[in-house]
Amino acid sequence: MKVAVIGYAVSNLEWDAEKTREETVFEVAKSALENAGVSREDVGTVISASTDFLDGRTISNCMLIGGGGAYLKDESKAEEDGMYAALYAAQRLMAGVHDIALAVSHTHSWIFNPHQVSQYMLEPWFDRQNDLINGITLAALQARMYMEKHGVDELDLAEVCVKNLRNAAKVPYALRKLHDITVEEILESEMFSDPLTELMIAPPCDGAAAVVLASENVAEEICENPVWIKGIGNSCDNYLRDRDLAKLNSLEIAARKAYRMAGIEEPFREVDVAEITERFAHQELMAYEALSFCREGKGRVLIEEGMTEVYGDMPVNPSGGALAGDPICATGMIRLIEAAKQIRGEAENQVDGCRTALAHAQWGLCAQKNLVFILGDEP
Amino acid sequence: MRNVAIIGCGQAKHGRRTDVNQAELVAEAVWAAVEDAGIAPEDIEAYAVGNMQGFGGIAQPDLVFADYIGAAGKPMQRVATGGTVGGSVAHLGYYEVASGMYDVVLAVSWEKHSDSAEPGATTGLLHVAYANLSYMMKVGMDMRSFAIMGLAGAAAGISAYQAAFYMARSGCGIEHFDMVAAKARRNAAKNKYAHLKWPNCTADDIAKTEMLIWPMRFGHVCPASDGASCVIYASEEAVKKLGVEKPVAWVKGVAAYADEEADQGEAYQGTAVVDYSDQTGAILSAMKAYERAGIKDPRKEIDVAEIYAPFPHQELMFSERLGFFDDGTAWKAVEEGVTEIDGDFPICPSGGVNATNAIGSSGMQRVVEAALQIMGKAEEHQVPKDVRNAVAHAWGGQVQFNTVMVLGDSPKR
Repeated sequence: MKVAVIGYAVSNLEWDAEKTREETVFEVAKSALENAGVSREDVGTVISASTDFLDGRTISNCMLIGGGGAYLKDESKAEEDGMYAALYAAQRLMAGVHDIALAVSHTHSWIFNPHQVSQYMLEPWFDRQNDLINGITLAALQARMYMEKHGVDELDLAEVCVKNLRNAAKVPYALRKLHDITVEEILESEMFSDPLTELMIAPPCDGAAAVVLASENVAEEICENPVWIKGIGNSCDNYLRDRDLAKLNSLEIAARKAYRMAGIEEPFREVDVAEITERFAHQELMAYEALSFCREGKGRVLIEEGMTEVYGDMPVNPSGGALAGDPICATGMIRLIEAAKQIRGEAENQVDGCRTALAHAQWGLCAQKNLVFILGDEP
Repeated sequence: MRNVAIIGCGQAKHGRRTDVNQAELVAEAVWAAVEDAGIAPEDIEAYAVGNMQGFGGIAQPDLVFADYIGAAGKPMQRVATGGTVGGSVAHLGYYEVASGMYDVVLAVSWEKHSDSAEPGATTGLLHVAYANLSYMMKVGMDMRSFAIMGLAGAAAGISAYQAAFYMARSGCGIEHFDMVAAKARRNAAKNKYAHLKWPNCTADDIAKTEMLIWPMRFGHVCPASDGASCVIYASEEAVKKLGVEKPVAWVKGVAAYADEEADQGEAYQGTAVVDYSDQTGAILSAMKAYERAGIKDPRKEIDVAEIYAPFPHQELMFSERLGFFDDGTAWKAVEEGVTEIDGDFPICPSGGVNATNAIGSSGMQRVVEAALQIMGKAEEHQVPKDVRNAVAHAWGGQVQFNTVMVLGDSPKR
C-alpha cells in the first residue's frame, strides 16, 4: 500500500511564546486538514509526537487529544521526532486499517530547557555523574573528532551556518533569519563549547507542525498533487561510548535502506533536494557523507564549492534546516514538510525541476537515531 | 490486511527489583521472549519500545541500552501514552509487521519504579498538569482551578472519584471491590511473575484493610512494581519461514480510541461529560477492535479477558464497557463467581494489574497473558477450558486513553 502526503502546516517558530501548546497544536492540526482539503470526520487515525521531559510533565499527550484532532479517533503518541509519528501514521495506512491519517508534533522549549533534558538522556550510572557532559559538549566532542579525522576546520562549519541562515531569511516562519550573515560573524558569536559557537547550534524554540497522510485508495481522489513516500529507512546506533562518534553510522544504514526501497542507485544524481536535521553545523557535513552525496571525509568539499546551495548540484536545507529554528519534536517533521513543498513547487527557496526529495530526522545524543524518507511526485 | 502472530512471550520477574538496573531488567524480558519464540536475535528486523520515562528517571532510556536488547543498527520506534503505554507498544509492534515493512518485530515495554523516589502508579499522574499549573499561575489563575481539573490525588485520586461514579451508576457496594481485589491476589499467587501474592485471600481479608479515601481501601490499591514484558510478532509468511510449530496467538483486531472528556470535561474543555465511569473511548475501542476481528457477540465469542484494572472497580466497569456484561451488572457476575479462573468468563486469571503494576509493562503484560492463555502456556493460572479468542485491554492518561487487542487461535480469513 502506497502512502502520500496530502497536506501540511507549520506554526511560527518563536521563543517564549505567549501561546499554550494546546493552542499551537490546535492551529497546526486545523490548518493541515484545511491544506489537505479534508475534514476531521474524514481522518481515521491521529498520531502525535512529544516527549515527557521536554514538555515538563508526564503523559505529554494529555490535554492535547482535543486540540490535536484525536477526540474519539484511533490514536497514539510517538515519543520522539514528529517524523516518527508520520512513520507510525503511514504504517497504520499501509496496514489497510485506515485511509487518512493526521500526524502532529510540537515542542515548547520555554517549558523546560532542552539542553538540560539532554543531561537526563545520559545513562545515570556513570555518565550523568560526570557534570561536564551534556548535549552541547558531546556535540562539540563529536565535531572535534570528525574535524581531526578529515581535516575539516571551523571555517567549513561556519559556511554551513551562513548557507542555512541566509536561506532561512526567505522562510516566513523561521526563527533565525540572517540574510547578510558572514563567516566572521558566525565564528565571532559566543563560544559555547569549542569549536561550537552560538550560531553553529540549532536554537531550541517553540513550534508545532502537522501533516496529513492518505493511502493510495483515496490520495489522488482528494488531492491534486499528492507527494508520495517512496522510501523509508530507520536505524538506531549504539549508545555514545560504544559507537564511532566521528561517523553517522545509523544514518548511513537508514539512507541505504531508503534508497533501496525507492530504487535510487546514485543519490547525488537522483535526489534533487535534501532537507536534513543538523542540530549542530558539523552534523550537516557528516550527513552529506552518510547520505552518500560524497565519499567519507569529503563533506567539506561540497560546502566549499557551493554544491549544496539552493542553486547547486545537490541543494541541502533550502529552508534553513534546524539551525534556523529547532522546535525539537517538530524539527524533523518540518523537514518532511519542506521536502514535500519542494516537490509541489511551493517552497520559498524552490529548487528547479524537483521530482525526488529526501527528508531526514535525527534523535538522541550526537544523532544516535536517524530516519530517512524519500519523497517523489509519482507513486 | 496481513495476518500477524505472536510467536514468543517473555516477562521479567515483577516486584521490587533492586538487583538489576533498567537495562538488565528489560533484557531479562527480551531474551526470555527470543528463547520462547525459538528464533535467533538476527531474525528480529525491527523494535517497538516504550515506558514512561519520568518514572525511571532516564529520558529516552531505550537509546541508552539499545545494544542490551539487540537493537543497535536496527529500526526502533518508541511510543509513550501513560498507563496504556504497554498496550500502545503492542499495537505499534503489530502495525510495524501489518504494514508490510518488516516480518519479525520485537515489542518490549517496562517500568522501574524503584529507581524513582515517587512511585508513579500512585503519585505520578499529578505531574500531568505541572506545566499547565505554571502557565495558569503565570497568567494569574488561582490554584482552585487546578483542583477542579480532577487531578488532585493523582491516579488513586481520579480512580476514587471514578469508583464513586461507578457505584452510583451500578448500585454495587464496596464489598464487591473487596471480592475483586481478593480474586486478584489469589490468582496472582498462581502466577510466578506476579508481585502481590496472597494464596486463599478472601473478601473479608481485604475488608479488614484500612479505608484510604472512600470508597477505596488499602487492599484495593495496586503496588508500584518493577518489571518488563515482551512479545515477538511475525507475519504469516514468516511463521512458515521460521518453521514455528508451537501454538501461536494471532492478532485479529486492535483499536485505541481516546475520550479526553472522560476526565477534564466540564472544568477544562467546556464540554460536559463528567461521569468518569462513562468511558465512551473504551466502548468505541472495543467495538472497533471486535469489528476488525469479526467478533459479533463478545460475551459468547471471547473466552478470557485481561483487563487493565489497577483498582478493583475498573475490572467491573471495563468488563461492561468491553461488552462482556450489561451496563451496571458486572458485580452480579462477580457474586456468582463467573469471573474466577474456573468460571464461565474468567477475567484477569493472571492476577492482573491490581496485583502487579509496573506501569509501562502492565499493558503489554495483558497482551502476554492473553497470548499465553491461547497458546495454553499459562501454567498454574491456565483457564480450564478451550481458549479460542482472548482480549487484552489497557487504559491510560487521565482515564481517557484505551487500547484493545483481540487475539485468536487461528488467523483471520
